[in-house]
Amino acid sequence: MMEYKNVLTVCPYCGCGCNFYLQVFDGELIGILPCKSHVVSQGKLCIKGWNATDFVVSKDRLTTPLIKKDGKFVEISWDKALNIVSEKFRKYSSDAVTVLSSAKCTNEENYLMMKFARAVLKTNSVDHCARLCHASTVVGLGKTFGSGAMTNSIGELENADCIFVIGSNTTEQHPLIARYIMRAKEKGAKLIVADPRLIPLTQFADYHLRQRPGTDVALLNGFMNVILNEGLEDKEFINKRTEGFEEVKEVVEKYNPEDVEKITDIPKELIIEAARIYAKAKSASIVYSMGITQHTTGVDNVVSCANLAMITGNVGRPSTGVNPLRGQSNVQGACDMGALPDVYSGYQSVSDENVRAKFKKIWNTELPLKTGLTIIEMINEAAKGNIKAMYIMGENPMLSDPDINHVKKALENLEFLVVQDMFLTETAQLADIILPAASYAEKDGTLTATDRRVQRIRKAIEPIGESKPDWQIICELARKMGTQGFEYSSPAEIMEEIALVTPIYGGIVYERIKVIGLQWPCPSKEHPGTPYLHKEKFSRGKGKFFGIEFKEAAELPDADYPFILTTGRIIFHYHTGTMTRRTEALNREVPIGYMEINFEDAKKLNIVDGEKVLVKSRRGEIEIKVLETGRVPEGVVFLPFHFAESPANALTNSAFDPVAKIPEYKVCAVRVEKKQKDITKI
Amino acid sequence: MIKKVQELAKEYFVNEKVDVIFGLREKNNHVAPHIFKKVEELDNLVVSPKYPLLYNCRPSKKNIIRLIEEKYPNIKIGVIAKGCDKRALIELAKREQIDMKNIEILGVACSREEAIECRCPRPYPNNLLIGEKVEGVFEDKSVEDLLNKSLSERLAFWQYQLSKCIKCYGCRNACPLCFCQDCAMEQEEWSKTGEIPPEIPMFQFIRFYHLADRCIECGECEKACPMDIPLLTISKQVRRDVKELFNYESGLDIKQKSPLLTTLDETPMKEGVNK
Repeated sequence: MMEYKNVLTVCPYCGCGCNFYLQVFDGELIGILPCKSHVVSQGKLCIKGWNATDFVVSKDRLTTPLIKKDGKFVEISWDKALNIVSEKFRKYSSDAVTVLSSAKCTNEENYLMMKFARAVLKTNSVDHCARLCHASTVVGLGKTFGSGAMTNSIGELENADCIFVIGSNTTEQHPLIARYIMRAKEKGAKLIVADPRLIPLTQFADYHLRQRPGTDVALLNGFMNVILNEGLEDKEFINKRTEGFEEVKEVVEKYNPEDVEKITDIPKELIIEAARIYAKAKSASIVYSMGITQHTTGVDNVVSCANLAMITGNVGRPSTGVNPLRGQSNVQGACDMGALPDVYSGYQSVSDENVRAKFKKIWNTELPLKTGLTIIEMINEAAKGNIKAMYIMGENPMLSDPDINHVKKALENLEFLVVQDMFLTETAQLADIILPAASYAEKDGTLTATDRRVQRIRKAIEPIGESKPDWQIICELARKMGTQGFEYSSPAEIMEEIALVTPIYGGIVYERIKVIGLQWPCPSKEHPGTPYLHKEKFSRGKGKFFGIEFKEAAELPDADYPFILTTGRIIFHYHTGTMTRRTEALNREVPIGYMEINFEDAKKLNIVDGEKVLVKSRRGEIEIKVLETGRVPEGVVFLPFHFAESPANALTNSAFDPVAKIPEYKVCAVRVEKKQKDITKI
Repeated sequence: MIKKVQELAKEYFVNEKVDVIFGLREKNNHVAPHIFKKVEELDNLVVSPKYPLLYNCRPSKKNIIRLIEEKYPNIKIGVIAKGCDKRALIELAKREQIDMKNIEILGVACSREEAIECRCPRPYPNNLLIGEKVEGVFEDKSVEDLLNKSLSERLAFWQYQLSKCIKCYGCRNACPLCFCQDCAMEQEEWSKTGEIPPEIPMFQFIRFYHLADRCIECGECEKACPMDIPLLTISKQVRRDVKELFNYESGLDIKQKSPLLTTLDETPMKEGVNK
């Protein structure tokens, strides 16, 4: 008998957390329906969401486990594959194995992966791509506010009086959040956008501050200089709610608008006026993303945003706050679940003895003491031969990490690499064993959206081929390795354990989130969740100011490499393209990579729109088509990083923030060369 | 009112007038289209003007009734249809996207308040079974406001509105009548691919022209727009023009052929039928 159902689930792309229905007819995915009753998406979606079924049914899906023999992948049974993996993993010492978890997997799967690393492999070296996007946020907002997450809720943006967007191309990266910024604007809010590029939001901005890439600290200090100079600070808030104000005051006094203009290239009048608008607004929200975090000064940038919000009392009320936008469907959750080398779930430190004792008791096993390695450190250690084996779930560092020539050497240097993925990615091609994973449409679980909203994804169809949900694979592997404590019958049961050991998730149970998601902190079963943080007091008690001096990026343009390269995403594609480049509607829009270059620069180099050029940095070179545009200023070129055949990350610098260890994707020096005609071929 | 609909649906089941009923179901406070197969399921049946029944699934560009008809040609489908749903069914049948022979319409009226909320000129189906016909909304404030402006003001208004577009294609995807296999919005000759905002005004306007004789004024395009572009306001004006020029209204009568499909020798053109 015919069966038609609509399965409510969460979009697998960015961190907006939009919901939609997967339409299923006789067991087959036939389309997507928007969900009008969802709090964020309200029946609307972006082009990626509308097309989020294509890659699920792609003919490229991996359908059986594979093993590499003589350089070629051959099929192998699940049983044999897991036996080999478990034998290999048993062989290596805990210091020689590392794990990459995934911001595209569910909370339950990330929790299990970090449990697997710690309880089975006995290492804290578990990390994931949050290292590459919001590691600076976790550190920066952690030390200023006590919680490294978006302070407010997405919908609140609509009622802000001023929105200051810095380093976020919201329209392209978080389209459904841009909706609320546009609604605020249409209700009369002032919009300030700081971005070196012209982005879709700049055409609607009251002020577009076009800073030289990498000068955000100077700009933010300039704002605070103006505010203190004109007495626009919120003295009561500073006195009652914060500490360390003198320290920041002393530093920002030096950043007068004239000097800031010299550093940032932004006319001082604009800095003064925009700072006034922000400070005078009743409720002002800061929205930021990779433009703030992906710098060697990533933590400094984040702390400066926090300083600015606190100095004006814009924290702890609706429609205010510091709002980092998380780029992946569950990158917030992967962090919350402790897929990080220094914390268990709920940001509980691995070096805290009480915490370790708690996990030891519940997991019933010994746990490692030493803080683990971050992604960049894992790669460096693998290149040196100190790391022998890696287990990578749903990540593609061969395209997403900086300086991929170095990444390739490191991964090739491993004795044993296991990759668990839906597709034969650039990284999976280097694996010894590949385990085929099920997609979001084929499993249950929870994802945590950027505004800390824990929501359910639901199984709509059976796993394709022999693929399995990641949580089942991890459990089976752990059991093969003879470890107790991985006998879960469902993701709901895993969530019960998460709630037990994770105070901020203490009240999250499947039954409660079947209708609407809950926002953490949600410490008990009666707690309604938390739409905005730091209401009466900051998570750490008092908000803490830090005086931050401006520092230049690690690599600046010079005579040999005269351009600043900055990288990012575009609306039609997503990360390393594993999903979007297998989606017809998106490939039709943008089939191949391109590099944005300013008209004047193109003229000087004698290159024209559509021409293929060579782009070189100290680390690598690529060939790519040129897009002449006014979107980038002179001296700056922009590359989307989605395209394997012209990978932006062959060029980028792996220099990282000293604390957060996030690499500097947003600034490095490159040279653009016209391709010489090969005379022999004429 | 909803009890009456549930009772009627039950009667259709009991008397075997239909095998399944296609309507809206509420589950965990969320409403979505559903195929009811048993009487016991009908407790969750709801009627709401906020939710349409018919979408064209993508990538097939076929609606669910069509998919059922193709795979299960003998199943009799009862459809709980509001005015807009009925108009969509008529227009789809007229254009050979569905076959009405196995369809029983259970027509339901919307209230005056609901009609005002939806800016709906015809808040009832033409074979009404439940509820009372109420007056529709004929004067649309947004249209009138716009027509009172000068041409240059109107141009500026639309240029601003369309510059917000993020090219999600939601207006098309949510439209019950956007079933073309080759969609003009995707074609480079009308608007360049890979850019947001897409070319103004061609990206949206090619759709409005294409739908001039199809649009049933349900407003789903506007409701699907993440950027709140007032798309229904354009549809209303195009529909009004088609009515004035050709005395034609879509969605009212299956037999009434569209004037835009008529050639000079008066043989109707055959529309591309999805295979």
